Amino acid sequence: MEEKPKKILYNRQASAHYYRMGISWATPTIAPGQFVMVRVTDGLDPLLRRPFGIYNILGPKGKSRGTGIELLYKVVGKGTRILSTRKPGDDIDVIGPLGDGFPYPSGFRKVIMVAGGMGLVPLYLMAKELHGATLLFGARAREETVFIKDFRKFMRNVKVATEDGSYGRKGLVTELLEEEISSGSVIYACGPIGMLKQASAIARRADVKCFVSLERSMACGIGVCLGCAVKSRPHKGSGSGVYRMVCSDGPVFDSADIDWDSFNL
Amino acid sequence: MNKGVKKTSRLAVEIAGIRFKNPVLTASGTFGYGSEYAPYTDLGRLGGIVVKGLSLEPRAGNPGPRTVETPSGMLNAIGLQNVGVESFIKEKMPFLRRLKTNVIANIFGETVEDYKEVARRLDGVAGLTALEINISCPNVKKGGIAFGVVPTEAHRVVSAVKSSVGLPVITKLSPNVTDIRVMVKAVEEAGTDAVSLINTITGMAVDVEKRRALLATKTGGLSGPAIRPIAVRMVWEAAQVATRPIIGIGGIMTAKDALEFIIAGASAVQIGTANFVDPDSAVKAVDGIEEYLKRHRTSVKDLIGSLKA
Repeated sequence: MEEKPKKILYNRQASAHYYRMGISWATPTIAPGQFVMVRVTDGLDPLLRRPFGIYNILGPKGKSRGTGIELLYKVVGKGTRILSTRKPGDDIDVIGPLGDGFPYPSGFRKVIMVAGGMGLVPLYLMAKELHGATLLFGARAREETVFIKDFRKFMRNVKVATEDGSYGRKGLVTELLEEEISSGSVIYACGPIGMLKQASAIARRADVKCFVSLERSMACGIGVCLGCAVKSRPHKGSGSGVYRMVCSDGPVFDSADIDWDSFNL
Repeated sequence: MNKGVKKTSRLAVEIAGIRFKNPVLTASGTFGYGSEYAPYTDLGRLGGIVVKGLSLEPRAGNPGPRTVETPSGMLNAIGLQNVGVESFIKEKMPFLRRLKTNVIANIFGETVEDYKEVARRLDGVAGLTALEINISCPNVKKGGIAFGVVPTEAHRVVSAVKSSVGLPVITKLSPNVTDIRVMVKAVEEAGTDAVSLINTITGMAVDVEKRRALLATKTGGLSGPAIRPIAVRMVWEAAQVATRPIIGIGGIMTAKDALEFIIAGASAVQIGTANFVDPDSAVKAVDGIEEYLKRHRTSVKDLIGSLKA
């Protein structure tokens, strides 16, 4: 069905492998944590759309409907490499916003956001709404910390750990979480599965609620291909867990509902 | 008004006694139960919708990863996850029967009795136009070898279903066989009203850094434009022996792709993987076929199997 074409406003290299892309689009209401499916090329290789978390809503401040969106991406393969060559003014085929966002925290004493690498992306809109939140960010090295300055503009509690010690603390972001967690906290996390599994375990030990945003490869993004299945934890009374779709049941899940041992890390 | 009538007749085809207003259907497993795509395309403009494969009981499906993209295609091993035939009738049919398009239920089972029972429950359900039998499912009683690769087994399933229902029956054929013509003959002898082909081609991809298969089940079914020339070839081969209509499937992205199948011998086509890429693909294919028919002053009916020597 025809609608006004979405156009690339800018596609700027932020550092070696990292880009910011602005897309003009009179958006419907966007909830923090939702994503879009982007067709990077009209060609057949790559064939499928790529999921990207919505980083920011462009337009008047504080509005959930915008005049556009901003995506951040890292060039990791053929799809993102092609995306990095797209020019301002080009039409871009975007479906969204998709999935359920993060639930709004209420009744918690402390909000802790935990991000690994590009896991920062879906947390930005939530962070903007929650000024008092703490952000714990983990990366392999300094070059992956390029977007952390966006968060520092309005967040006072930002802590960074890098695996090689080139920025912030040397170590893992989950070590920061061990130090920050306290009863009455709520955790919002996004990053590699290994990190999320750790964060979930830490939250469980501390009896703290933890929401995770998952990423899986997916073909459609709207609950049809059933490709992005993750296993939920078996509930009392039922023998085994059921599969949930990251795109249409998530991408945000209560970490206690996920069968973390089902992932082949 | 005259123009409107003419336009419809140009695109219309009849298969298994069913009238299709145009020859473009959406393939099972790529279009959910229809409603998922309602926000993205005009469902009423489709020739038909073939719904996600249905079994007697709901099925959970396979562990992930279930899909991996490959050059111009994708591998999937969903494991036939579905809501089960009863939920389909209660929860999905009310939406589907309101659409101005043909609704075809794809069915499968692990035994001949399963197939018969699913078919029986669907027979007579208001709004359902036909059944499509997926014979690529493993036969548990025969050690898990798919019904669709052994002609005598395919014959057994199709004749069992055909004798249990009044609905027209389309048999969806697996390409993972030595000679597709043998399978076409087997299922036609068993009474199928039409055949659809091809289902996915068995494939595999490996992550060389981790030395692991990229699918949890290791192997899966390849779909997308990568398989199209194979599918066109098999439709053409099938058309050499078939006495009933053929529905062509395999990597169709555009009207031109669909026309290849029709000229090779298909009466209609199904669009699969392309729905993921562009939810409006099937409707765009209808428009493109119509444009072609006008330009060549012909109709779908005249185009079927019109490949020149």
